[in-house]
Amino acid sequence: MSIGLEDYLFVSILLFAIGFLGVLLRKNTLIVFMCLELMLSASILALIAFSRYNSTAANPLMEGNVFVLFIIAIAACEVAVGLAIIVALWRRIQTVELGEIKELKH
Amino acid sequence: MDLGTVLSMILLAPLLAAGLIWMFARQRAVLAMTLSLAAAATILGLSLWLYFQLWDGTAYEVSMEWMRLGPLQLSVGFLLNDLSALMLFVVGFVGFWIHLFSVGYMNDDPARGRFFGGLSIFMFSMLGIVLADNLFMMFIFWELVGFSSYMLIGHYITTDEAAQASKKAFIVNRVGDFGFLIGIIMVYWTFGTVSLGGLQELAHHSPDSVTTAMGLLLFCGVLGKSAQMPLHVWLPDAMAGPTPISALIHAATMVAAGVYFLGRTFFLFTGEALHIISWVGVVTALCAAIWAFGQRDIKKILAYSTLSQLGYMVAGFGMGSLYGLHHGDGHGAALYYGIGASMFHLTTHAFFKALLFLGSGSVIHACHHEQDIFEMGGLYKKMPLTTLTFAAGVIAIAGVPFIGAAFFSKDAILYVAKMTNFPAFLILTGTALLTALYMGRLFVIAFLGKPNSKSAEHAHESPWTIVLPLVVLAVCSVAGGYAGLYPERLGVLVQNWVPLAHGSDHTLMLVISAVASVVGLGLAGLVYGFGSKTDRVEDKAPPVYAFAKSKFYFDEIYNAYVAKVQDRLADFVSFLDTLFISGLLVKGTAAVAGLFGIGARRVHTGSVAAYVWWFFFGLLLFGAFAGGFLDGILQK
Repeated sequence: MSIGLEDYLFVSILLFAIGFLGVLLRKNTLIVFMCLELMLSASILALIAFSRYNSTAANPLMEGNVFVLFIIAIAACEVAVGLAIIVALWRRIQTVELGEIKELKH
Repeated sequence: MDLGTVLSMILLAPLLAAGLIWMFARQRAVLAMTLSLAAAATILGLSLWLYFQLWDGTAYEVSMEWMRLGPLQLSVGFLLNDLSALMLFVVGFVGFWIHLFSVGYMNDDPARGRFFGGLSIFMFSMLGIVLADNLFMMFIFWELVGFSSYMLIGHYITTDEAAQASKKAFIVNRVGDFGFLIGIIMVYWTFGTVSLGGLQELAHHSPDSVTTAMGLLLFCGVLGKSAQMPLHVWLPDAMAGPTPISALIHAATMVAAGVYFLGRTFFLFTGEALHIISWVGVVTALCAAIWAFGQRDIKKILAYSTLSQLGYMVAGFGMGSLYGLHHGDGHGAALYYGIGASMFHLTTHAFFKALLFLGSGSVIHACHHEQDIFEMGGLYKKMPLTTLTFAAGVIAIAGVPFIGAAFFSKDAILYVAKMTNFPAFLILTGTALLTALYMGRLFVIAFLGKPNSKSAEHAHESPWTIVLPLVVLAVCSVAGGYAGLYPERLGVLVQNWVPLAHGSDHTLMLVISAVASVVGLGLAGLVYGFGSKTDRVEDKAPPVYAFAKSKFYFDEIYNAYVAKVQDRLADFVSFLDTLFISGLLVKGTAAVAGLFGIGARRVHTGSVAAYVWWFFFGLLLFGAFAGGFLDGILQK
């Protein structure tokens, strides 16, 4: 069997759903954060798949690939900031449980 | 120096004095007195310089834009002409002597800083009215004199009487000023300008009925300020203020501002309006003269006499203008006869009424604040100078031929009355007799005979600061009637535009004046007796006295109106206000916002998971909307 666009998209949707449910249901900030990254990866996967299957002989450039590199670079920055926030949170209130972090409410 | 600069200095000197007193001299009486007196002297000195050197006698107008609201341009400016020059002299001259008098009179008052500050504020506002070149500026200063009058009537803040009187004066004036403001707006609406110079050129171009209504609305302001019927009720009560205030504000200058205003806007009055104005003046003159017989308080008697004389002035303006319309040459110039008649009487009245009030102040000061004339008596031995000057004032107001100023000025008014309105002439002639009678009553009871009380026995002549103004004003009261004595620049109105009787009329006027004044004064001596202890009319003919004392129940009617109609209406409106405006509108809106807030606060949990759920449902909703699943619901 050959692997088509639908298969890529299926994996992408699966990854997104796992990430989304993780954000919804898990209480540990670290895991929620990882799930967020998972959702981001899912969308990157969809993007690159579309890019690949939209290319023709007349237009072989696949500009989506370049975008993906940009997104990965920005995601790396985001992770650095996000992990720093989590470390700061731990230092401040000695917990990373989402249920106990309500300070921004005020 | 430029004329405009000098006028600005005249206007701003008292404001500067008032500001300095307010900042530095509220507790320093001597400094406050010095500042206030210096401002008054500056006004008098500069205005004299103006008359004798600087001003060439032609109308001088200068103005600058103050602010612009759409098409409405408000400006401040000065208009110096024959009329305002004369008024400026009256205010400056009488004002200065009353300032000097106040220094002596108020020497034991604990709140002199406030008093002299108020006096300077008053001079500022009054000069603003005198010099203003447009109606809006005049209105602003008009309200300012109202305020300073309020402040000075209420000077003795510890007495309930003064508090009530100042409140009454303020409120009654508001009633008149309401009409006044509407009148000004109507003038602006009709002519598109409020500048006096501009109006004079445009005034003949509007239909008569509009101009009549406009003139009568403007006259409402005069009703309040010059205390004409039916808004006269505040002036007698205003005597609760210190005597110099009664003299300056409530006799010589401020209450005359109404008459001055009529002269300033004479071109706005049509024949019909002038008829009504003259009758208001005539009725006021008669009624106030009757009421004066029911009073025992020396200042109250003088207050009613002021009312009566103001009535003469207003009637003189009305009928003088009518006389000019009938006999004169051309509309514009002819109306000057009204100004001439009223302003001549205003000027002489300012002299002799200020003199009479200051004389009564001297008496009150000497008798330890005794104001009842039946508690005085025999003062001629104790206070010869005061008595002599007061006698000059009585002679002046009674209009004794050739030595009383009112003989000349009142005769002009009687003459125009005879020429235009015979019933009014009869009433005013009768009033002239009454005037001599009530002033004679005051004089023979308070000054002649024997002392009736301890305070009168212990009276003694007042210090020079009190007596000097009396002497100066007494000289003016005698000389003020001779128009030829006025300096060239000041006398234009009184020399050229006072309507004088000729031939047989002249003789008639002379006889009427002589008879009215001499018979009035003589009757007063016969009827009331020198220095008597009780009012003989009250003893012998109680109904006559009660008739005069009743003041025709104006106060009672107004009080009943306020209690029965106005207060109830106010209560009703206040109920509606509580229910709808502050209840439903204000508190209702707040309650809706509050309820919404309570709901929104519930959603704001702080739990990230809850927010993600909201986000998720939002996304679903948006997806459903974009996908067209909601169309069925939304279209219904």
